[in-house]
Amino acid sequence: MLEYFPENVSSIGIEHDHLFAIIYYLCVGIFFLVNITLVYFLIKYRRRRGVKAYYFHGNNLVEFTWTLLPTLLFAGLGFYSDDLWTRMKYQDAVPVADVEVEVLGQQYLWHYRYPGPDGVFGRTIPSLRSSENVFAIDPEDPAGKDDLTMSNVFYLPINKTIVVHLSSVDVLHSFFLPNFRIKQDAVPGLKIDVWFDCFKAGDYELACAELCGSGHYSMRGELRMLSEDAYNEWLQGKYDAILASIEQPAEAASADDMMDAGDEMSDGTEIVEEPTQAEQGH
Amino acid sequence: MVRVPAHGSQAGKGEHREKFYKLILLRNMATEVLTQAHHGAHDDHGHDHDHAHHESFIRKYIFSTDHKTIAKQFLLSALIFLFVGGGMALILRWQLAYPGQPLPLIGHLLSDSFVTDGVVQPGFFMQMTTMHASVMIFFVIIPLAVGFFGNLCIPLQIGTDDMAFPMVNMFSFWLVPPAAMCVMSGFFMDGGAAAAGWTHYPPLSVTSGAGHTMWTVGVFFAGFSSILGGLNYIVTVLNKRAPGMGMFDMPLTVWALFITAVLISLGTPVLASDLAVLFFDQFFHSSFFIPEGMLYADNVHTGGGQPILFQHLFWFYSHPAVYIMLLPLMGVVSDVMSTFSRRPIYGYKAMVFAMGAIGGLGFIVWGHHMFQSGMNPLLGTTFMLSTIVIAVPSAIKTFNWLGTLWRGSIRFSVPMLQALGFLTTFVVGGLSGIFMAAAPADVFIHDTYFIVAHIHYVLFGGSLFGIFAGIYYWFPKLFGRHMNEAWGQIHFFASFILFNLTFFPMHLLGIGGHMRRISDPTVYEFLAPFQDMNEFITLAAIGLGFAQLILVFNIIFSLKFGKKATRNPWRANSLEWACPSPPVGHGNFDRQIHVYRGPYEFSSPLTKKDYLPQWKKLEEKPAETPVTAQKTEAGESTKA
Ligand code: HEM
Ligand SMILES: [Cu+2]
Ligand SMILES: [Cu+2]
Repeated sequence: MLEYFPENVSSIGIEHDHLFAIIYYLCVGIFFLVNITLVYFLIKYRRRRGVKAYYFHGNNLVEFTWTLLPTLLFAGLGFYSDDLWTRMKYQDAVPVADVEVEVLGQQYLWHYRYPGPDGVFGRTIPSLRSSENVFAIDPEDPAGKDDLTMSNVFYLPINKTIVVHLSSVDVLHSFFLPNFRIKQDAVPGLKIDVWFDCFKAGDYELACAELCGSGHYSMRGELRMLSEDAYNEWLQGKYDAILASIEQPAEAASADDMMDAGDEMSDGTEIVEEPTQAEQGH
Repeated sequence: MVRVPAHGSQAGKGEHREKFYKLILLRNMATEVLTQAHHGAHDDHGHDHDHAHHESFIRKYIFSTDHKTIAKQFLLSALIFLFVGGGMALILRWQLAYPGQPLPLIGHLLSDSFVTDGVVQPGFFMQMTTMHASVMIFFVIIPLAVGFFGNLCIPLQIGTDDMAFPMVNMFSFWLVPPAAMCVMSGFFMDGGAAAAGWTHYPPLSVTSGAGHTMWTVGVFFAGFSSILGGLNYIVTVLNKRAPGMGMFDMPLTVWALFITAVLISLGTPVLASDLAVLFFDQFFHSSFFIPEGMLYADNVHTGGGQPILFQHLFWFYSHPAVYIMLLPLMGVVSDVMSTFSRRPIYGYKAMVFAMGAIGGLGFIVWGHHMFQSGMNPLLGTTFMLSTIVIAVPSAIKTFNWLGTLWRGSIRFSVPMLQALGFLTTFVVGGLSGIFMAAAPADVFIHDTYFIVAHIHYVLFGGSLFGIFAGIYYWFPKLFGRHMNEAWGQIHFFASFILFNLTFFPMHLLGIGGHMRRISDPTVYEFLAPFQDMNEFITLAAIGLGFAQLILVFNIIFSLKFGKKATRNPWRANSLEWACPSPPVGHGNFDRQIHVYRGPYEFSSPLTKKDYLPQWKKLEEKPAETPVTAQKTEAGESTKA
């Protein structure tokens, strides 16, 4: 059964697959134990002439034993799993990012935003969101002018810690990278950090795993994992294009919020209006 | 609840007890007089119970207050919905196996808003997933598990004439048709029926068409029906037990239904409030669940709601609801297993406490449906631990069922086969639950076909096989005729094999990452290797669907031509077998019932036969006061 998993390419995925295998062998064991006992009883104690069933109401010691054993077993499993859970999802356990990217789900595509040449995400103001400005970037903030945005396909480097700031434009979506064993719902109005790494370059599929409307099945994205050099080259190409378009606003092609070029006084502050998950304290 | 417990187990207080029973008799008579007066207000026919009834057709078969008739109504409506929901499932399966190919047979009959040239449109697919699950949960399994078995078993098994509130009972059934009409009405509206999943998460359920609002209203009604049923069961079980019957003399089916009723009355109001608030968002455009900055019909929303709040309230009900759908069947299966292995239930009290534990713990595990929802992961830890603990009572029950078979004298009649089907599939469903309960392992399989497999192992394999067991078991009591045994066996084996062929591979799909609720898996490259499996599942599912026709024909045929049933055809011990088959019109029992012992005294050494009914007073005198002697004996050995 375990061989049906898609190929794993992340370090957390290794741990995930390991835990899954432990539970799998445990459950297969219990399954056979119970069913072999059952079949044995059914054959051995089938109705026979002249044999009366045994009149007996049970035994407290037996009940106690078969309560305690599964409790210990399952509680052990719970505490064991918790270690991985805390490192996977706890927001205060998110490691320092080598690369940050903001990801937004929208019916039925994915949007990505990189901080741009200045290394800083532009400030966002939720009330400014529109279909032209899905990220709700504040046009007044110079840090936002060079942000690199794209849809459907995105690129990241291997062997780096990647942190995704995940949210949604409209309804719920879910950011599912099967090869990375990553899944996290994208919730409008909430920013959730998801981190992962990758040890194998290649093209991977990004799926939406939360029903988001009739086109849900088609909400497919692609993640191209590049070697560090290839990634830097790709990024530099994008930066050059952005910087060029900022200088000549009339020809603005790639960035979607080119309002006013010139004032490059990025103060480096990042104001994110959406509350983070930890602040909301759900 | 004026009743002082009629446990009667306070041995030695014989005289007091007699007095007490007289009181109860008196009270029962008083209730009867009141009910009659009540009937009288509606029509002038005589109500002498010794005479034939002259009730109008409508009073007798449609707006009946008789629990047996209401049970039949629940059975009939649920069986109809079973095929409606099943048909929807086959539409889903067709599209998954052969995306883009026109639906056979019905493809060209459907409206153009659902299909193009007979091919299922993605929007229609979503409506089908939503409606399939909603119909199956709210109009098949809950009505059968709670409505049908509650009405059938509670009064008969506690030896009384009817529910505590027969009118409320009738109302509880008659809320189902309007509820179903609301939920289905979307098919005739612009935008079609609800398509946001049976979980109906906002914002999607708020930003989509009017069918979603109607869904909310309909499910609200269905919940109301449950609440009315639940309250009625609680009062009935507490107040109307036959003289001599203590709480621990009740069959496990009654215990299970009682605990279920408690879950219903604590959980369903929360769902109702959740739906009410959702309705406000949908209809009055408030924003309890709609966050600020959300893009919605090209406008940015400025409210300040919380989508995740809906999920908390929804699962606070819906996790207990999965047990509402299962617990009654756990009771049914216990009764059946005990009867057909001719053994007392192993660990009766442990069974009761395990069900109580499932009920109690069921209220603190809801977050396991929300591990990936964006709720604080710290809560994930808590919910993971509580969820893993809830697997323990399930394990206890499984072991006790095995213990019941141990050293029995097992008969493989159809109810027993179905009960064994329940047991094996429930084990698989419980074990897949462990994977999902471990939060880090749930990350990958959440919202994949692994969940779909789990759901169906517990709800189809568990609940539905349990329901089948109960139908075959009590059919002779309810209708006075046996179901056909041979066709019953064919139905069981066909269902059991095809069920596993349909749903087991879904675990593999889930491990392969196949998302649930997608209408075309061929969009994804990583799912390409699974297309053959999807086709295989579809073929098995079609077979499984058709196998259920056997059940229907068996029921129809047996109603007319089945072998006549005696009073106690399975030679069982609980009180329903003391009354004629079918039970007498109003009142059920044709004699005064007194309970002398627990419900599972099979193969007791006190008698030559291999069963000793609860109502049987032993004539030969094994001790000075036979009643109390047996009572304590049974009580003690149960305690052991
Ligand atoms: C050993 C006991 C069980 C455990 C540990 C367990 C655990 C879980 C978990 C963790 C989930 C959420 C999975 C996810 O969405 O990622 C789930 C889903 C579900 N469970 Fe169970 N479960 C158990 C027994 C049952 C039983 C007895 C039933 C019903 C009779 C049931 C019905 C369901 C249903 C219907 C869902 C899916 C709801 C949905 O998302 O549509 N489970 N279960
Ligand atoms: Cu989606
Ligand atoms: Cu649950």
